Amino acid sequence: MKEPIGKWRLISPFFIILILHCIAILLFTRGFLLTRTELSTFSTCSDISNSPCNNPNFNLTDDQNQNDSRGCWTKPAVDRVVIIVLDALRFDFLASSSFFEGEKKPWMDKLQVLQKLASDEKSSAKIFKALADPPTTSLQRLKGLTTGGLPTFVDVGNSFGAPAIIEDNLIHQLVQNGKRVLMMGDDTWVQLFPDQFGKSYPYPSFNVKDLHTVDDGCVRHLIPSLYEEDWDVLIAHFLGVDHAGHIFGVDSTPMIEKLEQYNVILEKVVEVLKNQSGPGGLHENTFFMVMGDHGQTLNGDHGGGTAEEVETSLFAMSLKNPPASIPSALYTASCILDSSGKKVCASTIQQLDFAATVTALLGIPFPYGSIGRVNPELYGLSSGTWNRPVISASNYKQSDLEKWMQNYANVLCVNSWQVKRYIDAYSAASVIGFSLEDLRHVADMYDQAQNNWSQRSENFSLCGNEIPNESCDASLTILQGQIDAYSNFLASVAELARSKWTEFDLKMMGVGLGIFVLSLFVHTIAIRRSDKLCQISCPSNGDCHISLRVISAIFLVAIRACSFLSNSYILTEGKVASFLLGTTGILNLRYSLVKKETLIEAVAFLLLNFVLRFTTEVGLSKQEGLSAFMNLYPLRMLAIDHEHPVLAFVSNIVPMLTLILLSYLLVKSTADNRCSSVLKYVYNTGAILSYMLIALHWALESNLLALPLVLKHVDRDYVPRMIYAIGLGLLALSALTHFFKKETSNYTESVLTKTIGMLSACSSTVILLLGRQGPLIALACITGGWCITRFGQLEVKTKNGIGVFTADPLPVTQWSLFAVCLFFSTGHWCAFDGLRYGAAFIGFDEFNLIRQAILLTIDTFGVSLILPILGLPLLVVLKYPYSQGTGGTQGRGIFFVKLSQVFLMYGLITSITTILTVICVTIQRRHLMVWGLFAPKFVFDVVGLLLTDVIICLTSLYYFCRVEDGTK
Amino acid sequence: MEKKPDTNQCIRGRHPNSVTVSASFLLHLSSVLGVAITYWVAQNFFFINLISNPTQTLILLWVVQSPILILLFSLLRQDPQQCSYWKAVGRGIIGLPIGALIMAFCGVMLGAPIGIQDLGKTVNWSLLMSLFTIVPTACVFGSSCKDWLRIFAHTEPGGVIDIIICVPSHGALLGAWFGAWPMPLDWERQWQEWPVCVSVGAVAGYLIGIVVSLGFVLVVGERRELVKEE
Repeated sequence: MKEPIGKWRLISPFFIILILHCIAILLFTRGFLLTRTELSTFSTCSDISNSPCNNPNFNLTDDQNQNDSRGCWTKPAVDRVVIIVLDALRFDFLASSSFFEGEKKPWMDKLQVLQKLASDEKSSAKIFKALADPPTTSLQRLKGLTTGGLPTFVDVGNSFGAPAIIEDNLIHQLVQNGKRVLMMGDDTWVQLFPDQFGKSYPYPSFNVKDLHTVDDGCVRHLIPSLYEEDWDVLIAHFLGVDHAGHIFGVDSTPMIEKLEQYNVILEKVVEVLKNQSGPGGLHENTFFMVMGDHGQTLNGDHGGGTAEEVETSLFAMSLKNPPASIPSALYTASCILDSSGKKVCASTIQQLDFAATVTALLGIPFPYGSIGRVNPELYGLSSGTWNRPVISASNYKQSDLEKWMQNYANVLCVNSWQVKRYIDAYSAASVIGFSLEDLRHVADMYDQAQNNWSQRSENFSLCGNEIPNESCDASLTILQGQIDAYSNFLASVAELARSKWTEFDLKMMGVGLGIFVLSLFVHTIAIRRSDKLCQISCPSNGDCHISLRVISAIFLVAIRACSFLSNSYILTEGKVASFLLGTTGILNLRYSLVKKETLIEAVAFLLLNFVLRFTTEVGLSKQEGLSAFMNLYPLRMLAIDHEHPVLAFVSNIVPMLTLILLSYLLVKSTADNRCSSVLKYVYNTGAILSYMLIALHWALESNLLALPLVLKHVDRDYVPRMIYAIGLGLLALSALTHFFKKETSNYTESVLTKTIGMLSACSSTVILLLGRQGPLIALACITGGWCITRFGQLEVKTKNGIGVFTADPLPVTQWSLFAVCLFFSTGHWCAFDGLRYGAAFIGFDEFNLIRQAILLTIDTFGVSLILPILGLPLLVVLKYPYSQGTGGTQGRGIFFVKLSQVFLMYGLITSITTILTVICVTIQRRHLMVWGLFAPKFVFDVVGLLLTDVIICLTSLYYFCRVEDGTK
Repeated sequence: MEKKPDTNQCIRGRHPNSVTVSASFLLHLSSVLGVAITYWVAQNFFFINLISNPTQTLILLWVVQSPILILLFSLLRQDPQQCSYWKAVGRGIIGLPIGALIMAFCGVMLGAPIGIQDLGKTVNWSLLMSLFTIVPTACVFGSSCKDWLRIFAHTEPGGVIDIIICVPSHGALLGAWFGAWPMPLDWERQWQEWPVCVSVGAVAGYLIGIVVSLGFVLVVGERRELVKEE
């Protein structure tokens, strides 16, 4: 007698692999998916009373100019702001070509009107190199610019569908404080701020090939608007440069034409602004900015963190000249002499500082989540920041510069207080906050700077009202020291936030990846080990040649896995899977021709592929938003088009007929199953009852049948809930019988009964959630599964010897490919907008996170993951005729070894593809589409893998019952 | 090569091997020349090529290639006594659309676009594929199920004729299959569009198959000569 194979020996690998995967995913995700919690707190004007800084209002009480300075946090320095955003404006588009080594490139020095203004001594204008933070995509950048924060991939709290910003932001503060905002250009702004703009002229931005619509729209409204009085802040977002870059690259004629066009437009804008800038003019105290949201590479890509992508430019001009310039210690400008001997300068600014600086200039509260610093150079450009009201009673005469610095130090004080407040609030609210050590360090820096300032400002206020003393001789150096202290604090906070929110933890990712690879080895070893177990119990299997089928299975998995290294293949993953599945279908046909068996199955499988291919196409087209495709395909029309009455009738009746067919198939498949008749009838009646309920639910929904009013009064949610209840009840019943019922000696039959029971218990819920397409998809599942199992049987019949693997890997591979195809053909895809939120609310109206998440998971993975895994034993069971089920221990052992091997193989295929996805996101972590494409794919794959592991573990506990019983 | 079917043996009895070997050379040479000259003519006289005008080029290719292949392969028909030359030609002509139907089905199943605007391309591509794979077999073997199975299911070519039919047609199929690989990539080249790279793959696979089959034919011919001498 051979050594018996225990149950735990067979299923323990599943648990080891589950644990390994959990650890690997946890570590990798911690390193890769940067998360940030969005706080929904908003700054308000009155908050300033909590700050330790000088209240501008308080200081102004004696001031004669009190009326025009409705200061809130800081004293307003400008009245109106014109912001022109040129999407993807590289630094070298704006800066003088003399900054760059080598010969002058064709795209340089095209925006000469701005360059002239910046180098003109008489005007207060400056060119900045603005440093953006990755991800450098327009949406994230606009979010960053307006909130003053660092948007990450997962901004927890962000509602998935709508991108509207729920955090405190510049636009919100503007509206809150009575500023009217006028927006024109890129419609992303309207998505981000759906109802904040007083007036807006949005233009669609999604068509990259369209260089002109958005720009022409901007031009049409920009110049006339400059003569209007009905706005305080004007935002014009031009997209031409970004689109020209994406299509033609930087070094191209369209790009140069675009830049030249912008030069003309900007010339006009500057002219209008200057004409109106006289005393009493519309633009007497207007601040004019031209900026890019991010840069681009020479190929026109952006999204990553390379220098070309993050370096964009900012041009700022105040139409009222300040009396002096800011102290040189605050300068970051690098100046050189250009070819004509003129001095040209360019300073550096962080885009992070934009929101804080603009709010400081306008005198409105800083956005709550802003971690930027008020930039001295940008702030000092405006003359409004200079004429700090002279405190009248004082004999003491401060120089302009000194006054400005005092003012600036006060602004920084408010700024630091606000940032400190945010950091504290964030640490308190977020699950994964900052480390305590970092927080303490930052807090120390703040306290030090603040204590200094409190003393100093006390002295200043004394100076203001009384006779000057020595402490009033606040020398520039002391003020400078104070400014530095605040700046250091703000810089260290920004650094801390960057390390937390924009940098990947490579070490963590590496360890996670290592454990993933380790799990792969464990998987392979487990498969080999079960082979050995099998050979112990039946030593006849000597031949170890690797058959063509094994090679083709490995080849298919390898192709699919490697395809994930390219973004194009990820986008068309459904097509790739159906291509590979079709190929296996053709191979099967060939094989059946050779064996002259299962020809019908092979042809049926090809036809099924043909149909699935169409539905996959529809799914993909939905992803691309081409709704025109929908009308072409009859199958999808069943689910969507309800307009034509006949069509509507057909679309309602076909799913129901299919349901009847499904019930018939269920009854037929269990008819010749002799054992446990009571249980069988319970399962059958349960499943058929829920199918009927599904039909009833749809009938109620579509008012197909003129049902009596009595039925209409019944809560519609009641029917789906009953279906869920029946499903749960059947599952519970299976679990109970598993514990209490004595095992029959016929193990294949018992496993078969269990499998069919599980499938019928789960199918009704899945069908319901999938909607009208559900029954058809279920039918496709059954057909596909039946064909694949038949092909497996063919192999057993023809080849009695056992190759390298005890179980045949090709059907398992086909099974997995088929599951992937089903995922795509049911209209899902690997992105968050591919989730069908509607399905989560079938049977429930109110939102409950856990309940709705479970329903959404069942809808998303039901047909592509849950049903296929539950049905996996069919691959093994159906290979055995019923009579063999009563075989001795040896047969029993081999049967369960095969079963475990099938599960292991399925798990291995899933984990190989997932690991390749993980490797891919590691390599492409700075890719343009990392947040748009790779990261969602990663999330879907990882969730799918964990779910696979968990379901395999649970089902193995259920299916592998008491293997050793037969040996005793 | 060891298990030669009887039918082939009788052909071999009537035709000396050397004739078949040289005939296969000539046949393949003419089909290669047919492809090459057609393409050259298309490019230099009609100023079209596969990338700029795929439909027209494909039409030109299959229209020129089909008489060459049908007429030549009909010469090699399996049992000349019972089956006249024109009957073999007829089989080839019938085989062309039927094969195209099968090819179009497989192509669409594996992911060929299905819009109306792509219909012409798909039809012409499948005609070309049919010409490379189905038509020669139809000309030579007609409706003999056993021979079809030997060529396409077992892939065990028995004699010289089997080799020159089987290897290039499998080459064309594999070439088309691999040719589909670059299609999803986002390089936005014109040649990535359906059916350019698949057709190129098919033609390339076919040509490679011809070279390989000639190699096989030579080996088989030599072996036979050795058998004869013994």
